[in-house]
Amino acid sequence: MDRNELFEIANSWFLEQDWTPHAFQKETWNAFLGGKHGLLNAPTGSGKTYALWFPIVLHYIRTHPEYKSRHTKGLKAIWITPLRALSQEIKQSAERIVADLELPMTVGIRTGDTSAKERSRQKNTMPDLLITTPESLQLLLSSKGYDKIFKNCSAIVVDEWHELLGTKRGVQMELALSRLKTVCPNLCIWGISATIGNLEQARQVLLGPTSKAYQDSVLVKAKLNKKITVKSVIPKEMETFPWRGHLGLRLLHEVVPIINNSKTTLLFTNTRGQCEIWFQKILEKHPEYAGIMAMHHGSVAKETRLWVEQAIRNETLSAVVCTSSLDLGVDFAPVETVVQIGGPKGVARFLQRAGRSGHQPGKESVIHFLPTHAMELIEASAMQKAVRNAEVEDRIPYLNSFDVLLQYLTTLAVSDGFYPEEIFPEIKQTFCYQALSEAQWQWLLNFLVIGSQSLKTYDEYKKVEVESDGRFKVNNRGIAMRHRFQIGTIVGDASIAVRYQKGGYIGSIEEYFISKLTPGDVFTFAGRNLEFIRVKGMQAHVRNSTKRTNKVPSWMGGRLSFSAQMSELLRQELYTAELEPSKQSEEIKALAPMFAKQREESIVPKPNEFLIETFKTRDGYHHIFYPFEGRGVHEAMSSLLSYRISLLTPITCSLAYNDYGFELLSDKPIDIQNVLDNNLFTTAYMLSDLQKSLNSNEMARRKFRDIAVISGMVFTGYPDKGIKMKHLQSSSQLLFDVFKDFEPDNLLYQQAYTETFEHQLEEGRLRMALERIAEQHIQWKQCEKPTPFSFPIITDRLREKLSNEKLADRIKRMTKILTK
Amino acid sequence: MVLNTTIQKQTFTFHPHGGLLWEEKSMLLISDVHLGKVSHFRKFGAAVPSPAAQKNFILLDEIVTHFQPFQICFLGDLFHAALNKEWQLFENWVAKTPSEIILVAGNHDIIAPEKFESVGIQIFKELCIDDFLLTHHPEERTGFFNFCGHIHPAIRLQGFGRQRVKLPCFFKSKHQMILPAFGEFTGNHTLTPKKEDEIFVIAEGEVLKI
Repeated sequence: MDRNELFEIANSWFLEQDWTPHAFQKETWNAFLGGKHGLLNAPTGSGKTYALWFPIVLHYIRTHPEYKSRHTKGLKAIWITPLRALSQEIKQSAERIVADLELPMTVGIRTGDTSAKERSRQKNTMPDLLITTPESLQLLLSSKGYDKIFKNCSAIVVDEWHELLGTKRGVQMELALSRLKTVCPNLCIWGISATIGNLEQARQVLLGPTSKAYQDSVLVKAKLNKKITVKSVIPKEMETFPWRGHLGLRLLHEVVPIINNSKTTLLFTNTRGQCEIWFQKILEKHPEYAGIMAMHHGSVAKETRLWVEQAIRNETLSAVVCTSSLDLGVDFAPVETVVQIGGPKGVARFLQRAGRSGHQPGKESVIHFLPTHAMELIEASAMQKAVRNAEVEDRIPYLNSFDVLLQYLTTLAVSDGFYPEEIFPEIKQTFCYQALSEAQWQWLLNFLVIGSQSLKTYDEYKKVEVESDGRFKVNNRGIAMRHRFQIGTIVGDASIAVRYQKGGYIGSIEEYFISKLTPGDVFTFAGRNLEFIRVKGMQAHVRNSTKRTNKVPSWMGGRLSFSAQMSELLRQELYTAELEPSKQSEEIKALAPMFAKQREESIVPKPNEFLIETFKTRDGYHHIFYPFEGRGVHEAMSSLLSYRISLLTPITCSLAYNDYGFELLSDKPIDIQNVLDNNLFTTAYMLSDLQKSLNSNEMARRKFRDIAVISGMVFTGYPDKGIKMKHLQSSSQLLFDVFKDFEPDNLLYQQAYTETFEHQLEEGRLRMALERIAEQHIQWKQCEKPTPFSFPIITDRLREKLSNEKLADRIKRMTKILTK
Repeated sequence: MVLNTTIQKQTFTFHPHGGLLWEEKSMLLISDVHLGKVSHFRKFGAAVPSPAAQKNFILLDEIVTHFQPFQICFLGDLFHAALNKEWQLFENWVAKTPSEIILVAGNHDIIAPEKFESVGIQIFKELCIDDFLLTHHPEERTGFFNFCGHIHPAIRLQGFGRQRVKLPCFFKSKHQMILPAFGEFTGNHTLTPKKEDEIFVIAEGEVLKI
């Protein structure tokens, strides 16, 4: 069958559904059937699944002309999704095509939710089309004879690649692909990504910069001109609108008309805790929503989540309070309106959420931005501009993640073993390890086999063994079992299942929260008031309670930083505060009372001014700096500056930062004039000072946590299996100290520092920010009390510490925390 | 600076490594050394740097040289897990250490008593000396002051400027003193003291009373 005939099959299928294929879909079919690899840039809900399922199926028809009478069993294509929640949806669309075209193909899902029975059935006969997650794919690589499973696989699609890129799961994917390229000789590799700043690089990372696949690939862009309207919810009484906070409940009443005027509304919150609170509070004020409003976040039981998703499609819900758990995948046609509560911290994410609404052709997407504190109105205004100019952030891919590589090598050693001379060139082809040196490679192999770089006689280290033919293999069943449990690079705090005493599963909560509860305490979770009874194994038992409570579990989550472009827009927006009202946006106009308050004590900086504020409260001496450069840069700058100050005088301070500025809080005042006279904002020796500053605070130590778990150094036990491995548990913190004292040249220990630099601190942007400050006039304001600008920063509880004072001296000024 | 405290008319001197000398009896109390932990981890495939195993013996040597006690009493969890090659290092250490060594067994001490006895270490479930009770797990018994370990106690301190530190400590309540974990590569557990409790923290090579 030639390509035109194949296209005819697809076209007529679309016609039967009363659809017409988009240009990007046809383009993708063409490229795929022409044997190209590629990256498809298309938003959620645009028909991207059909853009790739179809050519996969058509390719099968082409290579198996008698497909209706003769079917060869076995895996033919893999679809990778970052969220297991999406797998059902993808399966349905694949099954629809297969059924309508009367193909004898089977479609299967394999994720962490798949039962052991189903998994072993799949081992015997793999489905023709397999939908799975990056972790489950790694698990397949850890099973014996995996090469036979993949042998005839002709296509792999990595969906939502932008979500994986810039994470270690992305690195895991790069490694799996590097292996599959060898194992499956005719593999066609495709990625699907929403719009991000570095799409070209995304393709390079997916396929490998020096690979043949990359040379032979295309980037297909869906040009769907969707109109997005951003509306800010502007508080009517600005005078009483809070200066800080992250909940935004003050504007709850403004949300009600939005919900009432629209068929289905999604309310996006930034954290699961915030989600719980909003759900609770809306119901409290508007009990009439009971039954037509629901909640959706990652810790709610899967059944409940699926029910909510189905109910959105059936149009039986008018509002859903949710978190990023509804960001991806699943297409919800009935959603008319989206409300974003609090800053989304990213244009890409904001666009993605906006795109959740108005799915019908020709309809516009409407998103309401609801600020949680006054300063966020500036963000709202800047966000509108960013959406207009589509200023989307980059996702920075990882380089040299030794932890993921060690995990991967162990995976291969667990299954069939590996030969270094075969694997090394594969790994060198990936983006992440393109610069891996022979010496580093040797280090990693030594680490796996002898657990160090030199052999000691009394040592009993055991992990990977080298067999007589040079094959690296794990022969110990215990090690293999522990490794399989550990596969996966998303690291969270240990989570505890929350159940009713009779057994109903409600969801999971971080152990940290449960550990603070005493029996009888009532907390809100999954929209219910629950009384805590006891912890048994890795389960928390609860019963329903009618008591009111304000205890809401918190989940640690990453905080994102503004991109350079977004920070620039934010500054431009802020500078308009000094213009006449006719040149200001609605949001800035509304902020006039806050700006007035700010000017009472301090100033609203102009483009050529750099503002520093100092004041004292009962918390201590506050020193606040406002570069308006985004969280990441502020984190780095605060670390750098506090380190440089500590060289002038012994000091202990705690650091806090947000997207506007940063604070050094100390128990003694810092002489700002001294800081300026000594030119502490200089770019000279920036890198080495920054490096040294990291030794005196905890950033790298925190990064090491993930590294220790991923590389298999710290064993977390099997929480959901209830198996505790107490005798093998240690904290990554202890391990960090041991490395620091005994093996500072350990690559994993060093990786913690490199990652802090490259991924968190954004060295390049820091330099540019310092250069900008050098050209500005410094405005140091000694204030009597906190200013509106400073409020969100000084109330931030998540802080870094830096100290070069003698501990004994500090302790003399401290008191113990007593039981009340 | 040497810090000591008087309990039931007996004098106890602190050491920043986490030991306590009972002056009148010349008995050094040490708890939760967790020897063999590093090797245990390595045996199970976690490459903890092996020189860390040596560190415990260096610390033990230092504290023994400092006090030169007649007796050393380990308050449990001397060994982290089953027998491994760190036992050899321990045997060597016992052989060259002139003090008499006894062990109050803890929950981690699963190595056979005969093994300890073969190097001249006597094992007890608990020890009553005068009106002092030496155990691994904290215990309350009328008429006795209890020395114990097991908890790996630490406390949090706070100060002006939102300063906070967490430090390992000797935790003394009315009838009890919980010793900090002596070993390298052992964690700790934060306790919240009551008003009447006395806390002695270990801070950069010093013991300080809070």
